[in-house]
Amino acid sequence: MIVAIVYLVLIVVSILLTVQSAHVLYLMLYTWDRADAERKARAPEEFLPPQLSFSVLLPARHEEDVIQSTIERVVRADYPAELLEVFVICSQDDTGTVKKAEEKIDELHREGLHNVRVVVFDDKPINKPHGLNTALPHTANEVVTIFDAEDDIHPKIFSLVNTVMVQEDVRVVQAGVQLMNYQSNWYSTLNVLEYFFWFKSRLHYHAHYGSIPLGGNTVFFARELLLRLRGWDDRNLTEDADMGLRISAMGERVRVVYDDRYVTKEETPPTLGHFIRQRTRWSQGFMQTLKKGTWKKLPTRKQRWLAFYVLAFPRGQALLGLYLPLSLGMILVLKVPVLIALCSYLPVLLLAAHFLVQAVGLYEFTNAHGLEASPKAVLRMAIAWFPFQMVLAYAALRAMRREMLGRHDWEKTQHVGAHRATTEEAESRVG
Amino acid sequence: MSDNPTPPRPAPEPAPVAAEDQSTRRDKQTRQDRQDRQPSRDRQPQRDRQPPPDRQPPPDRQTPPDRQTPPDKNAAQGKNAARDRSATKDKGAAQDKSATKDGARQDRSARQDKSAPRDKGAGPPTRPPRRRRPRFSVERGWFPPLGSKGKVALVVSVLTGLLTHGYHLFRYPLYLTDEGIYMQRAWSVLRETSLSPYTYDYDHAPLGWITLAGWVFPLPKQFETFGNAINTGRFLMLLVHLVSVYLLFEITRRLSGSVLAATIAAFLFNVSPIAVYFQRQVLLDNLMILWLLLSLFMLLRREVTIRSVFGGGMALGIALITKENAIFFVPSFMYLLYRRVKGSASHRFTSTLWPFAAFAPIGAYVTYALLKNELLPSGFDFDLNNPPADHVSLLYTLWWQLNRSQGTLFSHTGLLQTSWLVRDKYLLIAGVCAMLISLWLGMRDRKRNLGFLISGTLAFGYAFYLVRGSVVLDFYVTPLIPMLAINVGMVIDRMLTGSFASRFIRGAHSMTRVALPSFVALLLLASPASGYLVHTNTEGHTQIADQYQSKINLTGMQHAQIAWVRKHVPPNSRIIMDDDLWGDLHDVRPFYPYAHSHWNASSDPDVRDKLFRKKWQNVDYIIMSNKMRKSMDTNNSDGRENWILQALRNSTRVWSQTQGNIKLEIYRVQ
Repeated sequence: MIVAIVYLVLIVVSILLTVQSAHVLYLMLYTWDRADAERKARAPEEFLPPQLSFSVLLPARHEEDVIQSTIERVVRADYPAELLEVFVICSQDDTGTVKKAEEKIDELHREGLHNVRVVVFDDKPINKPHGLNTALPHTANEVVTIFDAEDDIHPKIFSLVNTVMVQEDVRVVQAGVQLMNYQSNWYSTLNVLEYFFWFKSRLHYHAHYGSIPLGGNTVFFARELLLRLRGWDDRNLTEDADMGLRISAMGERVRVVYDDRYVTKEETPPTLGHFIRQRTRWSQGFMQTLKKGTWKKLPTRKQRWLAFYVLAFPRGQALLGLYLPLSLGMILVLKVPVLIALCSYLPVLLLAAHFLVQAVGLYEFTNAHGLEASPKAVLRMAIAWFPFQMVLAYAALRAMRREMLGRHDWEKTQHVGAHRATTEEAESRVG
Repeated sequence: MSDNPTPPRPAPEPAPVAAEDQSTRRDKQTRQDRQDRQPSRDRQPQRDRQPPPDRQPPPDRQTPPDRQTPPDKNAAQGKNAARDRSATKDKGAAQDKSATKDGARQDRSARQDKSAPRDKGAGPPTRPPRRRRPRFSVERGWFPPLGSKGKVALVVSVLTGLLTHGYHLFRYPLYLTDEGIYMQRAWSVLRETSLSPYTYDYDHAPLGWITLAGWVFPLPKQFETFGNAINTGRFLMLLVHLVSVYLLFEITRRLSGSVLAATIAAFLFNVSPIAVYFQRQVLLDNLMILWLLLSLFMLLRREVTIRSVFGGGMALGIALITKENAIFFVPSFMYLLYRRVKGSASHRFTSTLWPFAAFAPIGAYVTYALLKNELLPSGFDFDLNNPPADHVSLLYTLWWQLNRSQGTLFSHTGLLQTSWLVRDKYLLIAGVCAMLISLWLGMRDRKRNLGFLISGTLAFGYAFYLVRGSVVLDFYVTPLIPMLAINVGMVIDRMLTGSFASRFIRGAHSMTRVALPSFVALLLLASPASGYLVHTNTEGHTQIADQYQSKINLTGMQHAQIAWVRKHVPPNSRIIMDDDLWGDLHDVRPFYPYAHSHWNASSDPDVRDKLFRKKWQNVDYIIMSNKMRKSMDTNNSDGRENWILQALRNSTRVWSQTQGNIKLEIYRVQ
């Protein structure tokens, strides 16, 4: 009897996992699969003359190392200075970053550029959404956008968004973000590819069906839309995903542009610890957002289901993490009937397909960015693959534990610039 | 796609966006899309230097009449456009307006051009009319629309198939040993959750009879739904044939761009006596052909998407584990895939996922063997003269089969002379000629004659397998039939097109194109020499051919045989027989659990050594046909059937029936 139940569970779980991972695989390949989706994803070839004005929010916490160059990059973007204003957002206790930012502002003043300001807030909670909310009332331009302090933005990004917003009459644009350092440590290749598939393919699917968790930066909103939504949810760890769903619930169309040429370049978290903390935050944020229930307000069932599916994914991932070693052990140790063993072979097949797609994705990615992939990189990826899945599952489990314990503090990811020397572990844990 | 206002990336000279007329821009985009799919066009060999259709000057140059119909790609684009528009209602008004204008213009053109398939598109097609339509191209998926004539031809083809294969299905041909074996294994899948009631020795991959079991399972009376197990299997073959006709028709049409070619191919596939004979039987080859055609069809869709390629690969894998000889078609498939995805944005994914999908089912098969610890022979012993005794092995069987050779195909007693040519020499001879012409056309201009190259190599690959000198059984010709039919259809169509292209007889064109093949078809049907519909019997009288002859009821003899057994033979008797009776005796009460075929009685240790102990005295009855008697002799090269033959010598005939050259008997052993 018990044996029969175990077998039944094994079969049901195998089939569910197979269906789920087949679907994920489809989402990963969505833009490649459909020529029309691919065309829609591209950036316009010709840009319109500058028309819209932009307010850039630069939330920064302990970013002394990179804040000056970030300001520099935004200000020097290929867009008229009078149509740009920049807000560096810091909490009051972060004197180092404030000082560095002000140094840079003085320098720009001497050049005659007066469109950068520092916004300081001194109230709790100290996190990104709260900082954004603090700065929002200071903005005056038509479009509000967010960049993270370590972002390497493309100089044409404003022209691009200006064109898209004017031509297509959209009020929210999510442009591509891409991790670049695919060779700096064992997990970076897989992390880079996650971004690649997420922004290049999967987000388009979500945008198409109007149920989209937005990214944390390089996202552009019409200012009045943000005001109408009363800013970000500062109690949410993934305020960006939450914002995306709230916008979707309003029925607002989100345009996703992923064009390899214009992506915002980022780096993977420098250490495994940071990576796990970042991933824990995302997973927990998704769980929060799921609990909050914005997704239930989406108009159609398909949209609700899609949102639920994304938000519930971390939980599934945690379970998957538990299941994977279990099933492997069972296949190897237990002498199950051949049919049941064959059935549990299905998810393994899908895992192989996932790996294959990622290996091909590595070539797509490197080719798109003028880099070179090698069989060695694929081999490294193969070796790192299973541990990486385990790390993701661990982070998801960790998030689940934190969520159950009611710990909602913000574990920030540190940015150092992968090409620079790694600084001290200046990890900032703030309550 | 129409709502993307921007030309795609590799545009050579991007035009200023705001200034240009919307419809022109869209047009340019369509053009550009094609270039995207085919960036290597400029590197084409010199001889194909004529300007590609969409670069030709748009004004109405004369187009041959059969190219007047716009391809249904148009309609599909229209559909897309409509969907896109409705998906994004908040588009700029200007664009919408231009789209309607476009649509109106297109409508007008459709009115001018009566043959345009107006019912196809849900929305107004988007392309302006004043351009020459793209020619047919397999590589780029530019297939002409089916059209109303095509639809009629398709429906007629499927109905013909229903008639030729469905009529008399349960009476002709005689139940064959192999049909019995597959049904017996399907029985084992359902009743015993096992792949065979005997030891499964990996002689064939099992998906074929798993499919049969899946078909039987939901039926009300399971194996006896259509009388007996083989009939039930044959009914599935009928359904398989109908789907195959549809696929064959569409594949031929897409490879050749011609409804005529498709109709001819489907006609031969339906009516040829050799096709009727083998396709009515419960054979793995018929199931394999279905999957194979499906796989080919997936590669011939208008747009090669990752999903269709994946599905096509999967279908090929399924074909391979339905019957392994599908492997000889694989090279053509690979080449077709290569040509179709070359230069597309997703070619990296398609070209890796296709083989992956094909390997997935094979992987399941290998895993099955691995899990049962039957992949490798014990001790890696691949010695062919000394088969491993302790357990069967997938790889050993494969190795053994690869090393079997009996090259007697072309001799006077070979199958070609004694069976295949007798059944339909017209299809075989014309088919092989057509195959050679297809190969020649395909090789001469790989670029333009891709369809011929594919059809030619498909037939050639399998013909190579047949003549290469391995063991060939009667029904091994089955997969060759559809391939030859495709080739004949395509070559005839090309010859007619070619000869009527000359100015001299162009006027008679479309009439003759239909009349000539129809005449030949009627001739085939009316001539007793062909055996398509009538034949000359042994007494020299012309009569309806066997496959439709209501006076002939071959399987009725087998029913009579079984009825006699049920009436006179006690169920616990030890019986030697042939596999075609197996289902009857094991699935209908009272069961005859000790009835086994002479194949198993002479080779399966369980039956041979435990039940009969190789002693003729342990046999009670022998149920036999003259065919079985013959195969007992051929199977007896090492004396394994000696004790059965001895039993036969020590027995008396208690029942017999004869019809034509078929003789059924029952012997009681003393």
